[in-house]
Amino acid sequence: MSKMQLITKGILKENPTFVLILGMCPTIGVTSSAINGMGMGVATMAVLIMSNVVISLIKNLIPSKVRIPAYIVVIASFVTIIEMLMKAYVPSLYEALGVFIPLIVVNCIILGRAEAFASKNNALDSALDGVGIGLGFTLSLTVVGMVREALGSGSFFGMPFAEDVMPLVFILAPGGFIALGYLMVLFNKISKR
Amino acid sequence: MEFENISREIVQAFETGTISAAPETLFAIIIGAIFVNNVVLSQFLGICPFLGVSSKVETSLGMGMAVTFVMALSGVVTWCLQTYVLQPFGIEYMQTIAFILVIAALVQMVEIVLKKASPALYQALGIFLPLITTNCAVLGIAIIAVQKYPFDLLTGVIFSVATALGFALALVLFAGIRERLDVEDVPKAFKGTPIALIAAGLLAMAFMGFAGLV
Amino acid sequence: MKSSLKNMVLVLFTIGGVSALLVGLVHNITKDAIAQAEEQKKNKAKFEVLSTTESEAVILEDATRKIGDFEVKVSTVASRATNEIIGYAVEAPSITANGYSDRIYLMVGFVETDGEVRINSVEVLSQKETPGLGANMTKPGNKLENSVLGKNPATMTFKVKKDDPRGSFDALSGSTISSRAYANAMETAYAGYLWAKGVIVAKDNDATAEELVEESVVVEEESMGEEMEDNMGSATQKGEVGHE
Repeated sequence: MSKMQLITKGILKENPTFVLILGMCPTIGVTSSAINGMGMGVATMAVLIMSNVVISLIKNLIPSKVRIPAYIVVIASFVTIIEMLMKAYVPSLYEALGVFIPLIVVNCIILGRAEAFASKNNALDSALDGVGIGLGFTLSLTVVGMVREALGSGSFFGMPFAEDVMPLVFILAPGGFIALGYLMVLFNKISKR
Repeated sequence: MEFENISREIVQAFETGTISAAPETLFAIIIGAIFVNNVVLSQFLGICPFLGVSSKVETSLGMGMAVTFVMALSGVVTWCLQTYVLQPFGIEYMQTIAFILVIAALVQMVEIVLKKASPALYQALGIFLPLITTNCAVLGIAIIAVQKYPFDLLTGVIFSVATALGFALALVLFAGIRERLDVEDVPKAFKGTPIALIAAGLLAMAFMGFAGLV
Repeated sequence: MKSSLKNMVLVLFTIGGVSALLVGLVHNITKDAIAQAEEQKKNKAKFEVLSTTESEAVILEDATRKIGDFEVKVSTVASRATNEIIGYAVEAPSITANGYSDRIYLMVGFVETDGEVRINSVEVLSQKETPGLGANMTKPGNKLENSVLGKNPATMTFKVKKDDPRGSFDALSGSTISSRAYANAMETAYAGYLWAKGVIVAKDNDATAEELVEESVVVEEESMGEEMEDNMGSATQKGEVGHE
């Protein structure tokens, strides 16, 4: 696979949300508005790139039977460190992305990529894989957020275009499942063509 | 009096410097954790196994039992870890790492012990155990439990078990729906995950009806 | 590497140890900076909720009431130019109601106009509510904020309209629990204000409002502490400035 393909595959062919079906909890949990989806996506991408690199560097040192706990610990320490650094030195950024950071620890997308890609490839490719999958994740989260926000609160990236009569259920849990389901149908239709 | 619009409770809190909140009843905790704040359908935790292991009622029952078992154990262990190690040493910021490590180790241990002690149970639960390490619900609930019930191990564990039962209930119900969906004539683009997600949405909507219960 | 028991244990322990070490190290490095950033945020909020800035105003005194594990902090803010009290910034948690996942901490600015108290502005200091639902309480112009701004807390009913028809709070759509906690934090803040004014009197052995006031005078002119009560009348003008 060429370097460019590594980056672009996450958008359609290996889209983490619609094809790989990874990281469903944050997908449904935070996409009640477009800007939240985007924030979560960007924060995840940052962690994913770094954790992919670290894991591809240490992959040969870890016995395969304990690799999952080992990866989880690496990822968790990573996220904790990033959270503390952000809190200390860029509080304004933390304000915007802070709520998503702890959620990333339990995001199976990170572990999934560590297991499926970073543990088998070199550091550079793993970083590119992180960029690609992260981009795909950010894009799909933003789209899901846009749809749910438009239907549920009648606004587009926080700018209201409709009155307060929208079906609120779309920003609640059930609406999350349903919106994601229909978007997946749409995605299947488009990508199969 | 000038402050008659302030509740007695709060005025008293300011007067005495302590809060005397009525403790939640066990019944309310259990019903709340199973139905009202169902871990999958209203808290967005553990959705991956919810979608992944729900194609058959039988397997989903196994997974539900395995999760309940691990959550009960991890509830006890993480509570002790928090109270006797993290807090006394003032290293609460290590919580995520410590809990995750403990849960992962616990799952491996359960697997080994089960294999030796009860091959029959291992046959039933074994294949689900590795999946639990990556189940975000286990870590999420362990953290919520020590946060919500810091002084009471028993209540914390009951909360963990009830939450796990809620997970099992949602999983089994959902598997039942999916078994029926499999034999229905679903439009091609809807087949598989999309229709399952929509069904999950409807199930979540049904669970919203429990909201006023506790 | 081979998956022998020795290897597995060794590797897991090493990784755990190195991770813990790194995290501990970063924690120690960032600890002060984090505390500072949080302190700064709170400090800024104290002035903002009274529609002033640190360059125009000064904190006369800070009084803290400990309630169980919680603290309610009341800061008396005065103008730098005239030394007149602008108002009171109260930092309060929702002490008797939890939000959806945690307590909600508010900074509320109370100003006194014509002998009446008004809520000048509110800032949410910390909350962990659901993004897009309860977390909307941090957005400017949300329903909760709109139901308190400019109101006299003495005439309010600290309930969500859905629970009590007389309630003063319009709940955020789909987030009754978060809205209840918000109303509760507001109630606590108002109680904190009344406590600082000596209307609600602490009956335990802990320091009372008056004692704390004298202990923690932060102003250049020490006499300000005693003048506080007399200045109530002249706070009127300031209150109006605050409303602009």
